Amino acid sequence: MNESMNRRDCLRMLGFSGLTAGLGAISSRQLFGQDVGESSSFQSSVIATHKVENNRGGAALVAGKVIQPRRELPILDKTNVLVVGGGPAGVVAAIAAKRAGVSVTLVERYGHFGGLWTGGLVLLVLGHIVKGGRQVCQGIGEEIMRRLDKLDGAIINRTAGNNPTVDAEAVKYVMVEMVEEAGVKVFLHCWGVDTVIDGNVVRGVVFESKSGRQAILADVVIDATGDGDVFAAAGATFEHRSHNVGLVSRIGNLDQVDREKASGQPKPRHLGSPTPVVGVNWVNMQGPEVDGLDVAMLTRMEMNHRKFIWKNIQKTRQIPGYERVYLVETAPQLGVRITRVLDGLKTVTLADLKAGTKFPDVVGVGGSEKGEHGEWQIPYGALVPVKTDNVLAAGRCICAELRMADLVRLIPNCFVTGHAAGVASAVAVEDACRPRDVDINKVQQILRQQEAYLG
Amino acid sequence: MSLHSESKTSFDTETFSNRGRLRLFIRVMCLVVAIAALWPILPGTNSLVFVPALSPFVAIASLLGNRTFHALIWLGLMVVVVVLVRHRFFCRWICPLGLCVDIVSRLGKRLGPRYMRVPLLGQWIVCLTIGGALLGYPLLLWLDPLAVFANFPFLFRQNSRLGIWLPATGFLAIIVLSIIWPRAWCERICPLGAFQDLLFLARRTLQSIIPKVSETGKKRNVDLNIARRTVLGVAAGAVWAYAARPVRAKTSPHLRPPGARDESQFVGLCTRCGNCLRVCPSRIIERDVGQNGWATLFTPVLRFENDYCREDCIRCTQVCPSGAITRLSLAEKMGIRIGLPQVDMNVCLLGNDQECSVCKRWCPYDAIRYVFSEMEYTLKPQIDPHKCTGCGACEAACPTEPQKAIIVLPCPVNI
Repeated sequence: MNESMNRRDCLRMLGFSGLTAGLGAISSRQLFGQDVGESSSFQSSVIATHKVENNRGGAALVAGKVIQPRRELPILDKTNVLVVGGGPAGVVAAIAAKRAGVSVTLVERYGHFGGLWTGGLVLLVLGHIVKGGRQVCQGIGEEIMRRLDKLDGAIINRTAGNNPTVDAEAVKYVMVEMVEEAGVKVFLHCWGVDTVIDGNVVRGVVFESKSGRQAILADVVIDATGDGDVFAAAGATFEHRSHNVGLVSRIGNLDQVDREKASGQPKPRHLGSPTPVVGVNWVNMQGPEVDGLDVAMLTRMEMNHRKFIWKNIQKTRQIPGYERVYLVETAPQLGVRITRVLDGLKTVTLADLKAGTKFPDVVGVGGSEKGEHGEWQIPYGALVPVKTDNVLAAGRCICAELRMADLVRLIPNCFVTGHAAGVASAVAVEDACRPRDVDINKVQQILRQQEAYLG
Repeated sequence: MSLHSESKTSFDTETFSNRGRLRLFIRVMCLVVAIAALWPILPGTNSLVFVPALSPFVAIASLLGNRTFHALIWLGLMVVVVVLVRHRFFCRWICPLGLCVDIVSRLGKRLGPRYMRVPLLGQWIVCLTIGGALLGYPLLLWLDPLAVFANFPFLFRQNSRLGIWLPATGFLAIIVLSIIWPRAWCERICPLGAFQDLLFLARRTLQSIIPKVSETGKKRNVDLNIARRTVLGVAAGAVWAYAARPVRAKTSPHLRPPGARDESQFVGLCTRCGNCLRVCPSRIIERDVGQNGWATLFTPVLRFENDYCREDCIRCTQVCPSGAITRLSLAEKMGIRIGLPQVDMNVCLLGNDQECSVCKRWCPYDAIRYVFSEMEYTLKPQIDPHKCTGCGACEAACPTEPQKAIIVLPCPVNI
């Protein structure tokens, strides 16, 4: 009885999504006059406006409590692999899965790709090298970097053993280009808020957008949210950690500092390091250690950091020679470093890093900030939740010891885990098995074909 | 009575007799075994500990200086018993340096006889050292021939620094000396030889006083000269050690291997044999090359530039022949603080808003925390002195160049 209901629901959902997809195709052509990637599913704002009206939550105040009633959610899409989060891990995962031959949908809460790399202005790419300066981050992550190489003013310091600095806008552009070329279906401005659950198995993700609350159904979901929003909603166990939360900014006119006047003066603090834009530095900030999932705390951090950055610039401008320095921008995204960390089948540990442990299920090799450590392998098990099925973690929220979390969260290491999750999910879809049961040899083989480095 | 003339005959006669050949064979074997044990190409062997620990001079001086027994002292005491019965047994049958000196002395004699009246320095060295040891500071223990010999193979160690190979030249100096004045080292200067002389003499003297103990039944008079010299030397040593006390107390603390005795005693007890340097798997033990004055020259100091004191290692504490480094169990070592790290925030990457978590990650004791400063608006590494052992893992891992931002400074207080 229950099952037949489900099947009927399912069919109805499919019909609905097909309809919206069709309409989307027409409207996007009308709006832009050309195909945009896989435009058959492009969702135009005209249709969405209509949906907002029909998609009210209808929360009610009942005896002083806010009650969200049961309701049916529109299904926006059905796909093989759904990637939630369009940061370094999510974008690489989506491209990898699509190239491995399955249909992929990518949702991102902001209006651009790159996550903290671009939106958080974390412009210095740390973590792609190991002892001796050898680069271990290869594959799609390296492809992004090579594309940046070809653009004017997109990347500096791209030499062996050095950590390059990128331009955020160039990265956003390159990622759009690559995602479109791969043919990944994209929904921006969509914030994944819940999962569609069937016991221990994830069937899709519910997300919130200007179009209201909608769902996307998928065979495998990749949690590239960084905060583990998806696996947490799906009931997977995790560790909740606090880390330093800062706000990065860019300052300009550093090429117009009067060196003569400035000589003999104390050098101002918080001047940052150069970016591809001449005269513009990016200024990192560590910030205090707080809970990145506490919205009140995040608000406090935003406001404190903004005050500090502004006042610090004023202080800098008072130093002779630095009068023309100004604040270009603060990062649109607050720099949350670590929040939730998955309880996975395997854990990335410092002991393994020290011992140089080789895992039979290796899906990537990690680097360190300045190549302080040797190669450390990332086992597939670190991406797989202990119990929950059909969801894989990618990026900073994979299963890692507290001491390793600072390495796991580095951008190139997110490329690596994203790449692995993308390929593994594609293999799971093709072989119609749970992600935890994938043929790891096949995953490794495809990863190598996609030029990933596995040690 | 002339002890040294007696010892001279014991070396030179019977060279070609059967007994002489046997003795030569055993001495060559001892030399080969000693070099094999000390050779730098055999890492991980604790066998090398036997070479300097066999010295009865080191055993007695360290016993007096430390006032505690440790396993290695028994080795030296066994030799003491033997040399009480057989005069200069050690020189005649075992001493690897002695064989080397003998060989070059023959060469020296062939080059032509030289004459020089070398005073009996050895006995003075012994008396001064024993006197000092009574006050916990064996002054010239480092002149022990086995400790000098133990340094010799360091000449062949790769990538060696000045502090590594310079002490090894002590051996070469003795060789050169023996070519110029054949056998002067063994008979006149070597404290180990002189110590055997004194021990044997003391036994004989005792025999003459208590005839029942006597084996031979011959009565001998106490050699007043030597007795006077001994008393005078021991007293001088004690006075010297006592007079040097305020100076020793002022010596700045160093980063010593875990279990090193108090700085004022350590410098005296240390034979500079280099055993601790040799066994250290991370090669963080180096020698003081005189940056801190002559007193501490060639003593072991720690450098955490490239590696750190492993949390699972107590090897340097197991091989010290004189007890300058106390034998420790792993649990005991954990309770000892070598030093305490200091952070220079002008150098530290965190002080410059950069992403770095290396020292925190590398700390085996989880003793480092990054604390946010509202004033500076940066993080600052904070070290928990209750957890920190000063192992230097943070310093070794610190990525800043050329100067490390986090440096372990001496702070010899137990946790």
